[in-house]
Amino acid sequence: MDISFALTGKGYVLIAADTTAARSIVKMKSDEDKIKVLSPHLLMAFSGEPGDTVQFAEYVERNMRLYHIRHNHELRPPAAASWIRRSLADSIRSRKPYAVNLLLGGYEPRERTPHLYWIDYLGTLATVPFGAHGYGAYFALSLLDRYHDPEATLEEGLATLRRCIDEVSKRLVVSPGKYKVKIVDADGVREVEL
Amino acid sequence: MNTFAERFSVSGSAAEIRRAKEVIGEDDDFTGVMWGSAGGFGNLSKGVPTFSVPSVPDPTDFLRLHTDDHADPSCKIKIKHGTTTLAFRFQGGVIVAVDSRATAGSYVASGTVKKVIEINPYLLGTMAGGAADCQYWETYLGIECRLHELRNRERISVAAASKYLSNLVYSYKGMGLSMGTMICGWDKTGPAIFYVDSDGTRLKGDLFSVGSGSTFAYGVLDQGYRWDLTDEEAQELGRRSIYAAGHRDAFSGNTINLYHVKQDGWKFIGNYDVSEMHYNGPGGTGGYGYGVRVEGRTSANPAS
Amino acid sequence: MSIMELNGGSVIAMVGKDCVAIASDLRLGNQSLGISSNFEKIFAMTDRVYVGLPGLATDVLTLREQFRYRLNMYTIKEEREIEPETFVHLVSSALYERRFGPYFIEPVVAGMQKQPNGSFKPFIAATDLIGCINFAKDFVVAGTASTKLFGVAEGLWEPDLEPEDLFETIAQTMLNSVDRDAFSGWGAVVHVITKDKVIKRTLKGRMD
Repeated sequence: MDISFALTGKGYVLIAADTTAARSIVKMKSDEDKIKVLSPHLLMAFSGEPGDTVQFAEYVERNMRLYHIRHNHELRPPAAASWIRRSLADSIRSRKPYAVNLLLGGYEPRERTPHLYWIDYLGTLATVPFGAHGYGAYFALSLLDRYHDPEATLEEGLATLRRCIDEVSKRLVVSPGKYKVKIVDADGVREVEL
Repeated sequence: MNTFAERFSVSGSAAEIRRAKEVIGEDDDFTGVMWGSAGGFGNLSKGVPTFSVPSVPDPTDFLRLHTDDHADPSCKIKIKHGTTTLAFRFQGGVIVAVDSRATAGSYVASGTVKKVIEINPYLLGTMAGGAADCQYWETYLGIECRLHELRNRERISVAAASKYLSNLVYSYKGMGLSMGTMICGWDKTGPAIFYVDSDGTRLKGDLFSVGSGSTFAYGVLDQGYRWDLTDEEAQELGRRSIYAAGHRDAFSGNTINLYHVKQDGWKFIGNYDVSEMHYNGPGGTGGYGYGVRVEGRTSANPAS
Repeated sequence: MSIMELNGGSVIAMVGKDCVAIASDLRLGNQSLGISSNFEKIFAMTDRVYVGLPGLATDVLTLREQFRYRLNMYTIKEEREIEPETFVHLVSSALYERRFGPYFIEPVVAGMQKQPNGSFKPFIAATDLIGCINFAKDFVVAGTASTKLFGVAEGLWEPDLEPEDLFETIAQTMLNSVDRDAFSGWGAVVHVITKDKVIKRTLKGRMD
């Protein structure tokens, strides 16, 4: 079961996702990147049904790129969230729906605002200050209610994220070992070390 | 009118007297036998309790068919479930904290359930799973603990009491008992917590949380837990953790009951409304709620 | 696991004297897990027509988008704003179009209906998830707390309430009903609609 967390801080969004790719009882891979860079200021963590996840993530990635090329401008985070949500909402009533849950983090350079969206495979979209998917949500959300600060510096944000990961490692029976963490802020997208 | 019928009649002199007694609060109608040491636990005075079972080929299957709302949400009998309970050991004793919500399906059947069962002045039991199962068997455990005291001229240890309960529920394994409880107390060995459930699991430990909201409680509890917590810090942590679960878990909430067990027995610290904790915190010292805590703070950064 | 109870949420609408009110909770959940406490389910269609959409959250958003589209098409074609009664029929046919694969939403409509003489009359209605319309003269309810809302509203509602009294009635009905429902709550919002203005108030509700 994949686990992903995301949280906003002062002028940034942090997204973390575990790096295990499992099949049946076997870990097939332990350095899988489950966070896509959709555009210069947009990140998306994806989890769910194996196969669907990457297929859908790449479909979104290519459409975001297409928009960027056509309009010479990247889609703003609220617009991207709306488009992605609609794709999933249409998919859930199709013959073969994508079973993919997303955390979409973006930064709006003009308004200098970070955006975070919680999206599930049904096409449910919620704007949140922090979010999580998978079993991690059951441990991390109460923790974040207690420790999250919207004005946290990057160091403080990373410390809070580390608390989430530690908690899940401590309590979840099948907890993943490694996580990849990415950040999006005014400078764009990059990977950070925990 | 015969005497038996007279007792239940609503008219006549006997009823008149009965009403008068109700007004002045007398109840000497009832003999000592009815309110003796067996008080309420009628068949217990004869030893091991017995239960009547439905006359069907397989009573266990029958019960499961009509009560298990996970397998069949439309079943007619919904056993109340959904809870958050926690207990932890620290330098100053044991903290026990629970919520007070009981739900039947999506209906909040009660917001004032007592989920801490005061077994005796040194022992507390928590209640998760079947409310009746926990209430009955932990009260029964209280009787057995008292008998142990009388027989051996010394208080029962927490280990022994929890083992007694564990063995007891294990003997009913497979018959549909549902309980997840923590037996907490102070004995010769100091503060102690045992987790006992209806599978027959019995675990000794420093920190446990049980129920549908337990994961949320763990999230806050684990991060704030240290052995050398002061009494006030420990009580605050217990309260804050149950609040966290009450907030996030739909099946937990309403109020928090907080207990502190020390060398001289347990003490009830207080009852706290979860919503009051959200907006104002204990004694108005600042709300626990996320929105209340970060009021006016924003992740937007127009300044720099 | 019922699909109507997956995300939780409830809506109620009431008629008053020359006014109507519509209220909803703010919870978005995933079964027992609370996700968001600012998920609005009531949307303004015109200045005098409001719709509440309790049910599956993905369909709340999809239907809001669809109603906005259909409403714009209507406004362009007719060159006038839609009336609440007409809007209910629009809602109803939009839902019945999906008769064999429905949207899991039970809409509630509240608004002020323009009369031939130019005055306005309060209007409320609700439909089931495939578009059966229920016109009511007092109040309509929908969502996971609907049974509780019925009970409380039956006790509190009375005819010809002034806007402020109607607000108090609907607010107390909402707040006390969702406290008895595990899947609704986490705050509430009330809109009181009169012929010339709408007052929106966010209520402080129990947060468990």
